[in-house]
Amino acid sequence: MTLADRIGDYRAALEEWLRGFYHGLISHPAYEKIEQEAEDQEDAFMLACFPEAFGIPSPVSYYTAELLPYLEDEFEAWERRMWDRGSLLERKGHQYHF
Amino acid sequence: MRKFVFFGGKGGVGKTTLSSAYALKCARAGLETLVVSTDPAHSTSDVFDQEFGNDPREVEGVENLSAMEVDPDSEVERHLMETKRALNNQVSPAMVNEIDRQIEMAHQTPGAYESALMDRFIEVMKSSEAFDRVVFDTSPTGGTLRLLSLPDLLEGWIDRLAHKREKSIDLYEKAAIGNNEPRRVMDGDPILARLRGRKERFEFAGETLRGSSTFFLVVNPDELSLRETRRAADDLESYGLTVGGLAVNRLTPEPEPHEEGRGARFLRNRVETERARLRELRESFDYPVVAEIATRVSEVKGDFLEEVAAELDIDATAERPA
Repeated sequence: MTLADRIGDYRAALEEWLRGFYHGLISHPAYEKIEQEAEDQEDAFMLACFPEAFGIPSPVSYYTAELLPYLEDEFEAWERRMWDRGSLLERKGHQYHF
Repeated sequence: MRKFVFFGGKGGVGKTTLSSAYALKCARAGLETLVVSTDPAHSTSDVFDQEFGNDPREVEGVENLSAMEVDPDSEVERHLMETKRALNNQVSPAMVNEIDRQIEMAHQTPGAYESALMDRFIEVMKSSEAFDRVVFDTSPTGGTLRLLSLPDLLEGWIDRLAHKREKSIDLYEKAAIGNNEPRRVMDGDPILARLRGRKERFEFAGETLRGSSTFFLVVNPDELSLRETRRAADDLESYGLTVGGLAVNRLTPEPEPHEEGRGARFLRNRVETERARLRELRESFDYPVVAEIATRVSEVKGDFLEEVAAELDIDATAERPA
């Protein structure tokens, strides 16, 4: 293995480490934040669609019911997040990386 | 006259009679006519002495005339079944029960009935190419007015829902920069497609109601009916709908001048108060009085219907497309 190769390997490893470091420090929390914001928006959407899940009558629930077959993942996640208030608080806390 | 003609008014004033009579008049004038009853207590069948169902059927013995009676219950049932079928195709068996409960619940809310009726309304208006004139015999004032205010309301609501959905998908896409697959994608999102489809239908309903429909209010010459008619007319105007006129029904026939006695005196008194109401109708409403129909001794059917039709001063010609 020539010196050039070893330097190359070293640089590649370093680069990967640095990228990982940057990702963990800066970009991952940022993506996570955006994704969580997206989830929050989705929760609001689901709540607007299916408020009768919480006993609030909605004039459009008849129409939004036909969306349900296409909202499997969202619905499951939403129900979990909504019913479990403890985890909802905890979730909010997650957005801040102390 | 516009293509879609609605007859509305307080319960029991004779909407079915007048709408059937008008439909008959249109059919006699050579227009391919459909009369649609949206009152859950259907009586079109009784007027024509025939059974009608959820789909248009030709009225026997009358050329150019078809009739149907909207049945919201079966519409709700159909919608429920359709949604459940989609559910079974899309959703993993483990989740079906969970979502199934939610769907059942949505179909039992008080609004489901109205929504189904609205759906059917739109369907009838959309698929009415075969007819030159569609006459709606609506349910008593309150229900119908609420129904007609729905498209606007729902359009706004659906719009906001779609906006929320777009926003969350947009964020998911942003969160997935790089090699990651976004959790949701905007293109071909079935939810957005459905919401937009719904919105289009409501837009169509709103446009049709405002642009190609005329409303006639059936009124009896009594205080209650008058008041309700005023409220109904104001509401219709506020939704931007066109009121074509007032059709006065159940006027008391005047006794012969030589007749005396309790019955005759009663009738004369009655006629007097009704005249006052009629004057009020003519003076304080901006709409023309298009019919003055006297009370019939027997049920309005067959020949009587022809008589009533002849007394209706509502134009029965089709509006020529400009």
